[in-house]
Amino acid sequence: MGPVAPQKAAWASKEQEGKTVSRTSQESVRGRLERSNALRANIKRVYIYVFLVLIVAIFSVAKLGQVEMFGRGHFLSPNSIVNLLRSAVPIMTLAGAFTLLMISGYIDLSVGSAMSLAAVVFALMIRSGASLPASIAGVLVMGIALGAINGFLVMKLRITPVIATLVTLNLYKGIALLIVPDGLSAIKGTAEAPMPAWINDYARKDVLLGLPWAFYVALLVIAALVILQRKTIIGKYAAAIGGNRTAAELSGISAVKMVWILYAAVGAFAALAGISRASYMSLGDPLSGDNMELDCIIAVLLGGTAFSGGEGSVAKTIVGALIIMCVTTGLMTVIPAYWQTVAKASVLLIAVILNHLLVRVKA
Amino acid sequence: MELTDNVLEIRDLVKDFPSVRAVNNVSFDIKRNTVHCLVGENGAGKSTLIKILTGADQRTSGNIRLNGAEYAPRSTKDAKLKGISTLFQELNVVDQLTVEENLSLGMEDTTLGFLRRTDKTKRMVEAMNSLEPSIKPRQLVSSLSVAKKQIVEIAKAVATESDIIIMDEPTAAISEGEIKRLFKIIKGLRERNVTVIYISHRLDEIFELGDYVTVMRDGKHIDTRPISQIKDRGELVKLMIGKTVFEQYTLKEGACKDPILEVRGLSNQKLNDICFDVHPGEIVGFYGLVGAGKTELARAIYGADSYGGEIRFKGRRLPNSPDKVIAAGIALVPEERRSQGLFTILTIRSNVPVMNMRKISRAGFIDGSRERKISQEYIEKLRIATSSMEKETRKLSGGNQQKVVLAKCLFADADLLMLDEPTRGIDVGAKSEIYAIIRRLSEEGKAIMIFSSELPEVVNICDTIYLLYDGSLKETIRNGCDLDSEKILHTVTGGA
Repeated sequence: MGPVAPQKAAWASKEQEGKTVSRTSQESVRGRLERSNALRANIKRVYIYVFLVLIVAIFSVAKLGQVEMFGRGHFLSPNSIVNLLRSAVPIMTLAGAFTLLMISGYIDLSVGSAMSLAAVVFALMIRSGASLPASIAGVLVMGIALGAINGFLVMKLRITPVIATLVTLNLYKGIALLIVPDGLSAIKGTAEAPMPAWINDYARKDVLLGLPWAFYVALLVIAALVILQRKTIIGKYAAAIGGNRTAAELSGISAVKMVWILYAAVGAFAALAGISRASYMSLGDPLSGDNMELDCIIAVLLGGTAFSGGEGSVAKTIVGALIIMCVTTGLMTVIPAYWQTVAKASVLLIAVILNHLLVRVKA
Repeated sequence: MELTDNVLEIRDLVKDFPSVRAVNNVSFDIKRNTVHCLVGENGAGKSTLIKILTGADQRTSGNIRLNGAEYAPRSTKDAKLKGISTLFQELNVVDQLTVEENLSLGMEDTTLGFLRRTDKTKRMVEAMNSLEPSIKPRQLVSSLSVAKKQIVEIAKAVATESDIIIMDEPTAAISEGEIKRLFKIIKGLRERNVTVIYISHRLDEIFELGDYVTVMRDGKHIDTRPISQIKDRGELVKLMIGKTVFEQYTLKEGACKDPILEVRGLSNQKLNDICFDVHPGEIVGFYGLVGAGKTELARAIYGADSYGGEIRFKGRRLPNSPDKVIAAGIALVPEERRSQGLFTILTIRSNVPVMNMRKISRAGFIDGSRERKISQEYIEKLRIATSSMEKETRKLSGGNQQKVVLAKCLFADADLLMLDEPTRGIDVGAKSEIYAIIRRLSEEGKAIMIFSSELPEVVNICDTIYLLYDGSLKETIRNGCDLDSEKILHTVTGGA
């Protein structure tokens, strides 16, 4: 090494000490990681069903009879089940498409407003004498347009999804409120212009087992979207874009086009949800979709879809949606309305924590 | 079209960046169905050349012909369509999909949108399994090792009939056994009508794998030769470094003090049992190529990454969190000054005191006059060239930006200053100014650690030089003694 200044030699000598350090055996670390991953994967597979069963069990066992029951019976009585399913129609209709959008890594906060606007426009069309099929078709087209606007803002103008859809959330809601005349809280039948009775035909009239058309349509939508997600190119591309957009685009997939289509689909299903809400209540309430985005996000997260996209399941989202409906309707019989919001927030918190623990398995 | 012998012909390629010509009149050919290695020191222009080939960057002038046809990709996707796939270090596979789904991604056979399992997918899986039989088609890609993900990507590039696959340091993150398997696959690609452009800092790999090698230095093309015409590592290293002129280092006088920083058995995912001391007034250099673990070492000491082993600072165990490390008296000038070192939209005045706001504020309120006074002081002390302290730092030149980062760290009252690539992208004049500042600081008794991939820099100012390779300290050199640049480069490229 040649001539070395003395103080440097002193520096050098100290380095030889302390070279003994226990290195964690990589084998055992890897083994532990694999086992914990396998465990998480198993929990992830079943926890949502366990959760649903648990909640139903709790509400069934709890002595709800002690409280004022709004004339309803036991939580599991046919009557309450029908009621629960009827009120679950909007979220069942919407949550599937919402899941696909979130699998692709995007989000739409404007679904509730789009739903409200659809409800108002639908009631207006029915009241002005349009037929039921024509009204439904018209409002669906509007829903596609509302979704496409979101898609344009996010995919073409590249505005952050949360911001873009927060803007349209307010925009769509504002339009819905504008449409309703001053002094009224909703579009409803008046003495001069009564609401035709067949507005109920879609979402209230009993078709089979006490349930209306809207319910069976929602079932159909769910079945179609489950198949779409699992068996078709759309489901695969959504996962690919959410998982690794660069890789997807390098494979020749147009992320812009795909996600735009998903936004339009979410708009359409939000409109359908709005239609069923309006048809059920016989009026077009400009606030009827409020907080729908929250319900959708809870359902999707409970269903184990990654918030960052890439993986998820439409079927499990629907289970998640049922959990939310059980919690809200179950609690409705027990606690005051304002507490229900707190309860819902708690469910969201649980969903987020579970999602974080189970979905984000570190590579 | 008649296929020429050369799959790629590069002519007079130039790429200018605002302050530097990164690729300077480069011309060479790449023969069809060969493994063509690209070597050069950091800053030689390899990465820029590759970025132009993959469409990530546009050339300033020059000509590239792929299969005899003009080639000017607009994006990575465009490059891929035209026949050049790239195996980036950031792998382009979708973790959440299965192997099979990844292979067929974008090329699915469908009926009315429904996915079908067809012979095409089967053929792709077979092709992949002929490269690597252990990968199962139904396996999730997230469960594969990095090496196997690479193989999936290679299989996909082969299936899409890429003419060229560019591999950028593919062995950086994989184990010895996996490297052997990967090499077998790369060698096999020649028979599949694929040309490989292979970039690596590990020279042994070049000799094992390559048919041809192109050496670049300072943005220029130095030579392209068949590997067989290169005698040994030594010759290749000579081509890479050329004649390096070192500035004279002057030995420093000083009494032996107790070490201020003692690192013992530091290990984490990227680092392997690192031990060393730093003394007050000492300038310590860590030299290694990209991926050697320099930044990782700095980050570990700074508490930004977790680690095993022990780090003692001023005799006390150093906590593992940046805010506490700063409070203890260590500051870091990070590698990327724009994204990690500066608040670029804020003024010089607002940047200088950020690491020690307490010193210029009273009861939570910032004392504007003190802030101005201190900024003015540092502008003068470090000779920051600016019209005013109110200038946004993004408008400064690289050298002056770096001085602002330095000012920020100095104001934090650090006794140990870590500088990661302190002069990257800075012109020569500003470079020597920064060296002068570093020397002055060490004379004031501050301990300095420099992490650099530029040998002249380390040799110029450091008292002690540690050579890093693959996360390990390979050698310790006391500066002022005999320095053999060839031997150093030999060590940091993995030579025994």
